[in-house]
Amino acid sequence: MASGDDMDPIRVWREWFVKSEKSWSDALSEMMGDEQFSKGMGRYTLEALHTHRMFSESMAQYLANLNIPSRSDILDMNDRLAHMDETLNQIQVELREQRTQMARLATANGTAVGVSAGGTVRPARTRKPAANPDA
Amino acid sequence: MTASTRADTTSDDLEARVRRVFDRAIARNIPGLAPLPQTESDLDVGLSPKELVYSNETARLYHYLPTQDEIYRVPVLIVMSPVAKGYILDLAKGQSLIEYLVMQGHDVFMLEWSAPRRDQSHLSLENYVCDLLSGCIDAVLRDSGEAELTLVGYCMGGMLSCMYTALHAGGPVKNLVCFTTPVNSDGMELYKRWMTAKAFDIDRLVNELGNIPGDFINTSLQALRPLQRSANQMKLLNNVENDAFVKAHLRFDRWAVDQLPVAGELARGLAKDFIVDNKFAHNALTLRGERVDLGRIKAPFLHVAAQHDHIVPAAASRDLLPLIGSQDKHEIVMKGGHVSLVAGGNAVFRLWPQLDRWLSARDV
Repeated sequence: MASGDDMDPIRVWREWFVKSEKSWSDALSEMMGDEQFSKGMGRYTLEALHTHRMFSESMAQYLANLNIPSRSDILDMNDRLAHMDETLNQIQVELREQRTQMARLATANGTAVGVSAGGTVRPARTRKPAANPDA
Repeated sequence: MTASTRADTTSDDLEARVRRVFDRAIARNIPGLAPLPQTESDLDVGLSPKELVYSNETARLYHYLPTQDEIYRVPVLIVMSPVAKGYILDLAKGQSLIEYLVMQGHDVFMLEWSAPRRDQSHLSLENYVCDLLSGCIDAVLRDSGEAELTLVGYCMGGMLSCMYTALHAGGPVKNLVCFTTPVNSDGMELYKRWMTAKAFDIDRLVNELGNIPGDFINTSLQALRPLQRSANQMKLLNNVENDAFVKAHLRFDRWAVDQLPVAGELARGLAKDFIVDNKFAHNALTLRGERVDLGRIKAPFLHVAAQHDHIVPAAASRDLLPLIGSQDKHEIVMKGGHVSLVAGGNAVFRLWPQLDRWLSARDV
């Protein structure tokens, strides 16, 4: 006897969609690869680029008059934050190297090789594979 | 206690009680709703402990902290694709290739890419291979104290790894592993047709936009299988009672739409030299005046391809193995798609153990 789920028409439709998706997708991709379609898409992309530029320029002026930041201003801020993030990364890397050097100096009486960045002892690099690897 | 304070406390209590009852009712009566993450951070991706080792332009090199007392001699550097975020290989505990390799005793580093800023749109394929990847490899060798390493490249990260290894045939790459790496653009039919029909005028796009936005990359990838995302959402609705499925789906879905923007010059180089002119497959690509000849790669080589990969189909990747000059070279074709191959539920049982065996035999 069929369960409640099997009788649910929406669920059955979803399952059919999932099963047949590949062939629908292939057909759509094939259509998108058509030369006319590709050329049309190229034209549309260029139009979209021009429209985007025109709209951005006019909006930037409008927003400036209203004393509101434009997308370009936000992107400037994003770039400045990314710069700061990069500087912090550099400092983090420098600090890590300094910690390593200090830890190495502290253990200079013979065990310097096993000290990792961050000052912790790094495991020995002597591991061997299992007896009969399939490789 | 004043009357107003008492009233506030009572109203807070009431609000908390109503909220508790409401949450419990929802959790009990709407299957699948309870485990839904409340925030992005609830999806807990990329949790394996790591340290930043090197940072330059868009390159971020991380070292994953070893958990074993003894590790293999040769460090492993995973190179991500410049369009994809690295957390796909460290999705969650038990669903992380990184975690698995660290547990098996490998010393794992990962080169992840950050989104290029507008003033980084000049970064080209040459910069990515000869400066950024090269800088990371030097940092891995310096950090590990070893003279050689294993490169593991995912998708376009595999292309970058192959290019570097071909240009440095004398070392330091001891082993090279590529996951679903495209080499022949004739096999990427839709992109080839678009580029040759000028559907995307890459020069105009780069000149106008600087960097190619992540949404644009995402749309281009979705065009390869336009209804797949809808089908996945249908699958989600049919499995709302399966908590593990819901959470895994949300993690994958988040990653799938979380594409990185591509530096303008890198996009221009890939579109012209790789897609249109197919120079990579013909060993005709030159970087800094030197030809990238895959036949010069003599290091042990492993290519892992996915049977149902629609992003890098077999036709685009199967020529890689014959082009590589190594004597010790293998290809594994596994069930799965471009992403499920490395991060899906079955990757734990299928790919990861095979990769570990291949690496461990060569990382000593």
